[in-house]
Amino acid sequence: MTTTSRPQPWALVPTAPSSRRERFLRRMRAADLLTSLAVTSAAASVALYLAYGGAGDFITLGGFVTSIGIITGLVGTDLILVMLVLAARIPLIDRVFGHDRAMATHRALGKPAIYLILAHTVLLIVGYGISSHLDPVAETVSMWNLPDMPAAFIGLGFMIVVVVTSLVIVRRKFKYEFWYVVHLLSYVAVLTALPHQFSVGAMLAVGTGQRVYWIALYVLALGGIVVFRIAEPLVKSIQHDIRVTAVESIAPGVASIHMSGRKLKALGSSGGQYFIWRFWTGRTWWHSHPISLSAAPTDTRVRVTVRALGDGTTRLGRIPRGTRVSIEGPYGLFTDAGRTSPKLAIVAAGIGITPVRALLEDSRVAPGETTILLRGPEDENFLWDEMEKLAGARGAHFYTSVGPRARGAHSWLSARDVARNVSLRSVFPDFKNSDLYVCGPQAWTDAVIADAKSYGLPDHQIHAERFDW
Amino acid sequence: MTRRSHVFETMGTVVSFAFDDGEAARIDLERLQGTFAHFDDRYSLYKPDSELSRVARHELDLADASDELRAAYAAALDWRAATHGEFSPHRPDGIIDLSGIVKALAIERAGDELLDGGAVNWCLNVGGDVLVSGLDPVGEPWSVGIVDPQDRAALVTPVRIAAPRRACATSGSAERGDHIWTVGGSPSEFLQATVIADDIVTADVLATAIIAGGAPALDRACASWDIDVLTVDRAGGLRATPGFLHP
Amino acid sequence: MRVRAVLGSILGSVTVLVIGWQAGAAAAHNAAELSTASSSGAATTPTGAATPGSTPTPAATSAATSTASPSPSAGSSSTGSSSTASRTIVGATEETPFGPMQAEIIVAGTRITNVKLLQETDMGGRSAEISNYAAPILRQEVLKAQSANVDTVGGATYSSQGYLASVQSAIDKAHL
Repeated sequence: MTTTSRPQPWALVPTAPSSRRERFLRRMRAADLLTSLAVTSAAASVALYLAYGGAGDFITLGGFVTSIGIITGLVGTDLILVMLVLAARIPLIDRVFGHDRAMATHRALGKPAIYLILAHTVLLIVGYGISSHLDPVAETVSMWNLPDMPAAFIGLGFMIVVVVTSLVIVRRKFKYEFWYVVHLLSYVAVLTALPHQFSVGAMLAVGTGQRVYWIALYVLALGGIVVFRIAEPLVKSIQHDIRVTAVESIAPGVASIHMSGRKLKALGSSGGQYFIWRFWTGRTWWHSHPISLSAAPTDTRVRVTVRALGDGTTRLGRIPRGTRVSIEGPYGLFTDAGRTSPKLAIVAAGIGITPVRALLEDSRVAPGETTILLRGPEDENFLWDEMEKLAGARGAHFYTSVGPRARGAHSWLSARDVARNVSLRSVFPDFKNSDLYVCGPQAWTDAVIADAKSYGLPDHQIHAERFDW
Repeated sequence: MTRRSHVFETMGTVVSFAFDDGEAARIDLERLQGTFAHFDDRYSLYKPDSELSRVARHELDLADASDELRAAYAAALDWRAATHGEFSPHRPDGIIDLSGIVKALAIERAGDELLDGGAVNWCLNVGGDVLVSGLDPVGEPWSVGIVDPQDRAALVTPVRIAAPRRACATSGSAERGDHIWTVGGSPSEFLQATVIADDIVTADVLATAIIAGGAPALDRACASWDIDVLTVDRAGGLRATPGFLHP
Repeated sequence: MRVRAVLGSILGSVTVLVIGWQAGAAAAHNAAELSTASSSGAATTPTGAATPGSTPTPAATSAATSTASPSPSAGSSSTGSSSTASRTIVGATEETPFGPMQAEIIVAGTRITNVKLLQETDMGGRSAEISNYAAPILRQEVLKAQSANVDTVGGATYSSQGYLASVQSAIDKAHL
């Protein structure tokens, strides 16, 4: 382990710990409020049915089954709308939860939503069938002849296809791009299933409050997607006119992409945030990438560093000069804004060094507040020199851990360092009162976090940037 | 109020037009007769030179026929769809025959012209199909006596027709030799059907459809349109909607 | 999920569910009142089904009668005089793809005199009569008519010759 620390005169005014704590508490309050609203919306969809008088429909067997069928449809659709809101990359959601956590919740809601919609379909076919004295097959045929029902059945079919291809087992068999296109079918499914909700049954009839509320939910969810995933990137791309100026290979399989543009400072990113990039060449245009800036942007220049981890990222290393680039963002809570505690502990490995470098560049820290640990094999140290310079400028302790990895619980460190009893507690002074920012390969990051948790570090003090969504 | 009657022949039947003496100035009897004559001249299949006869003989293409004829034909087709074929602008042999709808269209136009002229209280009876406006000479809703099909000198019952239900049309399967072709070809189970509706075309078409389609047509017509009905079957039995007996 | 988020979710959910429950109970109460008022013989507002003029517009699709239950059944005619007291029997509400359906039958003696399908309109629970039923009646039940008491005669179209012998011609003669 080598250590280098060079105290330097200090220009930036550090942020007071108390205001950090305030910011953190405010964010947590907002998070709890939004979470409560989301859960309440599911209850509200049931309340719509109660207000329509549905409570009285449970008397006959057919009515009972039908009512449950209607309720499962309402809650299932509400969950799907919440999933859409989470995937819309709404800035508020990103600021409060972080986009990575929003997408984790999005994925978690998928199964319950589809189960509810399947139950909705089966229960209504059985329930209406009992009331009309038809067997399920005859009832299905009868329902197929109702207006908008064929579209609804097709939407259900699309949803099933999307869910099946999203199952991890199936997903691994296909390329990412194929899965992504299939996933887009889910938007089509939402739209094809929309008309039947208004034309079948009388709950959402014209003139009811329920109709207004339901339409408002759809406007929010679909509108969010249109505004933040379609309109905003379009506008930003036109505004900033970003093009590739050079692709620099800085290590085997690692390249820095330099780009030019206009008014790039207006992008408003804080160090540690990432953008979602789309490079418009014939072979790369349909694949967007979340990549952190590897340096703070000037008004006309911006830089990202990518590592070839798959087909998509490999092709990025070969983009010609002049390629047009469109971006969405910035996203991410891997920033100074996420700070909650007096001390700052940074652990990075591999390509994870990029957001961490930008974070440090943008952070307002007092001398001695920050400690940095970089991990890598013997020969890989791109950007480490820049990190070391930054560490000096920020008055931060700087350590590196190189060499083959250790075994067991501390596998994220090198074997040599573990043998010398190096640990999170030994490297980072006052570890319990630190914000831990980790970024690197997925499995390695997980190991660091597990180690930190084993020391009792609370969740809100652990910040990890994940790019695997 | 004194009641006046004006009677004249047209379209193979007789029109009885009753109105209040005080409104005589606002009523153009010549125009009234002219309207019926116009429809008769254009649509009568008994007149070889009528436009409809020429279409029926394929001397004139439907596409080249007058707008009014084509509109009448289109309306009749819409009604055929709505009554599931019980009412049809074609005879079983395929010949186009709009007589089922033309009388009603003529009455409707005549009624509109009367209202345009400012006449408020009148009763227009064309061969048993009645369209009224306003009240009778003693200030009551006009009262229509429904003929007993088994004894044409007798009436089954009177019924008062008041706005908005201004039209009363009756179809029978035995009078005049005009055969209403039933669905399936067997004799109709109803001797007579009287329909009261907001407009004369609906009343006339549905009365015909009920004769042609029998009891299922009766139930469907009652459920799907805002009407009141009285039917007389072959045994003389009656069926009526509640609104017919207690308007 | 954090404790505060859990508590907030529970509180919000219970609140909206209770509000919905109460709103539904109030609506059901109003609808019950209206349907008892309409079944005691007062005329219900007819739903505007036929548009005046020559184009037909049926109010309910024929599919409705096949999926809603119960279906109207013809009553059997009783011999002798029928009692004037009529009873109203209302069935349970069934949820159909067209909305809630409820059947109301009016029985006089042992005969069904009217069958109504009550369907909530989309203006908040008012029952509307959407079906009409032509029930068999006895000749004795209808008012007697004489040509002197009616203004005009309705019947199947008579020919010009047929007119001469008809009741209508007698009425016309009296007023010419």
